[in-house]
Amino acid sequence: MKKQLIFLILVIFSLLVFNTMIMAEQVTLQFMGWEASPLETESVKQGLEQFMKENLDIKVEYTPVAGEYAAKLLTMIAGNAAPDVFFIASDSYRSFQERGVLLNLTEYFNKEMDIDEFIPLSQDKMLIDGEIYGISSCDVSPVLFYNKSIFDEAGLPYPPSDPEKAWTWDKFLDVAKQLTVEKNGKTVQYGVSGFEISWVSAFCAMVKSNDGRVFNEDYTELLLDSTEAKEALVKIKNLQAVYGVSPLVIADVQQGGISATQMLQTGRLAMLVDGSWTLQQLAQMDFPFGIGVLPKFKKPVTIGQAHLYSAWAKTKHPDEAWELIKFLSSRGYQTKLVREGLWLPNRMDMYEEENLANWMNPDVYPDNFRDMVKYFTNYAELWPAVKVPSEAWSIVNEELGNFFVTDQSIDTVISSMKRRVDPILNK
Amino acid sequence: MYSDYFWAALFLLPNLLGFLVFILLPLIASFGLSFTSWDLLTPIKWIGLGNYKTLISDQVFWKVLWNTIYFTIGNVPVGIILSLFLAITLNQKIKGITIFRAVYFLPVISSTVAVAIVWQWLYNPQFGLLNYLLSLVGIDGPNWLSSTTWAMPAVIITSIWRGLGFNMVLFLAGLQGIPETYYDAAKIDGANWWALFKNITVPLLSPTTFFVVVISIINSFQVFDLIYVMTAGGPARSTSVLVHYLYQNAFQYFKMGYASAIGYVLFFLVFTVILIQLKRTKNWVVY
Repeated sequence: MKKQLIFLILVIFSLLVFNTMIMAEQVTLQFMGWEASPLETESVKQGLEQFMKENLDIKVEYTPVAGEYAAKLLTMIAGNAAPDVFFIASDSYRSFQERGVLLNLTEYFNKEMDIDEFIPLSQDKMLIDGEIYGISSCDVSPVLFYNKSIFDEAGLPYPPSDPEKAWTWDKFLDVAKQLTVEKNGKTVQYGVSGFEISWVSAFCAMVKSNDGRVFNEDYTELLLDSTEAKEALVKIKNLQAVYGVSPLVIADVQQGGISATQMLQTGRLAMLVDGSWTLQQLAQMDFPFGIGVLPKFKKPVTIGQAHLYSAWAKTKHPDEAWELIKFLSSRGYQTKLVREGLWLPNRMDMYEEENLANWMNPDVYPDNFRDMVKYFTNYAELWPAVKVPSEAWSIVNEELGNFFVTDQSIDTVISSMKRRVDPILNK
Repeated sequence: MYSDYFWAALFLLPNLLGFLVFILLPLIASFGLSFTSWDLLTPIKWIGLGNYKTLISDQVFWKVLWNTIYFTIGNVPVGIILSLFLAITLNQKIKGITIFRAVYFLPVISSTVAVAIVWQWLYNPQFGLLNYLLSLVGIDGPNWLSSTTWAMPAVIITSIWRGLGFNMVLFLAGLQGIPETYYDAAKIDGANWWALFKNITVPLLSPTTFFVVVISIINSFQVFDLIYVMTAGGPARSTSVLVHYLYQNAFQYFKMGYASAIGYVLFFLVFTVILIQLKRTKNWVVY
């Protein structure tokens, strides 16, 4: 009896010692991110479990943040209590880097990755003067969704998904007109919506499509005052103001109560310009929808971006932080969210014919998506907001809001925008 | 052993500490910050009155200042008159009166976000209840929240609706503090309801009214959450108010110094308005 007791105590004791030995060797990483949807929450959780199984010496403590992410991160860095690894929005990446708070990952990166693995817009997003401070998570781009039933009823062909066959603006406008239905003086079905939604920024794609630019090469000057840019913006506004084929939705307010996707589902809207991430939601809404490329002026263009993973410059565990970043940005990790339609891949080889089956989940991606993959590798440019201070971008959107919803002229709006934005860009 | 003061201080300490750490210190610090340029990460730069000078030439600042005043002018008088009317109506001894009072108080205890989202629905130009009701009487309702003309009135209506119950409860308390005997005496003298209201209710309710006016003005100048959720300051800044602009500068543009300066402009504005009110109390508040 006594012997057994002693043995038991010994076992417990040795277990404890063993345990503390492991814990002493284990490194704990603080990781912070945001959760845009329950799907992402689940995915991060599962991903971290897998990571910790593969790396027994690293323990990750995850803190999700709801809203005001950049402000929270900034405060934590200022308070010297920042997480080791964190999400960073593409449009705050450069402003954080400028202040020297992001760990330079270039050396780690060059040892294990190659910048050319990434699609061009992701490269452009990550590289700051040839150095890397954050690794791209995925890609998202504005595209054109449509309700197939509406097109079938009207006997019209679906919008093309092959960028080389993109509709011209006139063709697009013509279709939108035919799909706009009025009853007793009220529009009950709109042709299209979404070009003016600020976070989708499809207007940038249209400006570029017309050979215009939002900013100059080194982002020190606003170039929306060119004839090409203004023409594109006016044509977007005319959808609503002149032709009435688009409802008046304003950039920063959801169409109270009913979302654009619900309008698309219930047949109140034929075509919707929205971020590719909407695919995930549409796939669960149980109605026949399709996906196509945006119309073009002179050439097909879309824009793209998505958050990055960075580490704090003062992290005590840079090696482990890199391991986690490498894992999160890996093909394997992003595939799960890509398969659900929330993300698009950021690696060139994932867009190659033989690899499409790995992520192009037939329950989510419409058949013709195959024709569209080159849209994201060959025709997508980086979202201009990534390379300017957030204040400048917020002014661009505010002034564009003035243009889209009030009767101010394009010249008034753009000159006011330029007067306010250029000094910020030159700082 | 210890004096009473010690115990008093000890029991006040939790509250006092919170006040010191979370209110007084930040208050003083932000006053200092309003003379600097600071983004939290790079070293603080003293720029003297620079922020205040920028404010004067900042067209957005003047716009949001005007929006704040617009909101206050729309919100305070109508809100007070309506809630006074409501309080008088509900200050009766009829069956189920508490239910009515509770119903009107409900918006006060509801979460602002929920309120804002429900009202977004009501204001929806195509499927909203409000435009449906208007269409019944032949009015073609506006695009409430997406119109630069109608967004602010829409926010004001929601804000009045939301604040009604709170003011009503204050007025009810005030009304019940007026002794019945005054009314009885006046009635014997043959006073009609208007005379009763004008000569008894209004003067004897004036301390309450004063309190409600002051609180409403302060709250209106500081409005943020409702606007943040309903319109995010849009469309085209037509509903952006001082606190919203302050928030944008501090937490979106990381201009802490500039945001502090806006905060202090707001402070002095409210302070002046309240000071004027206090001076004028002699003329209309009866104690």
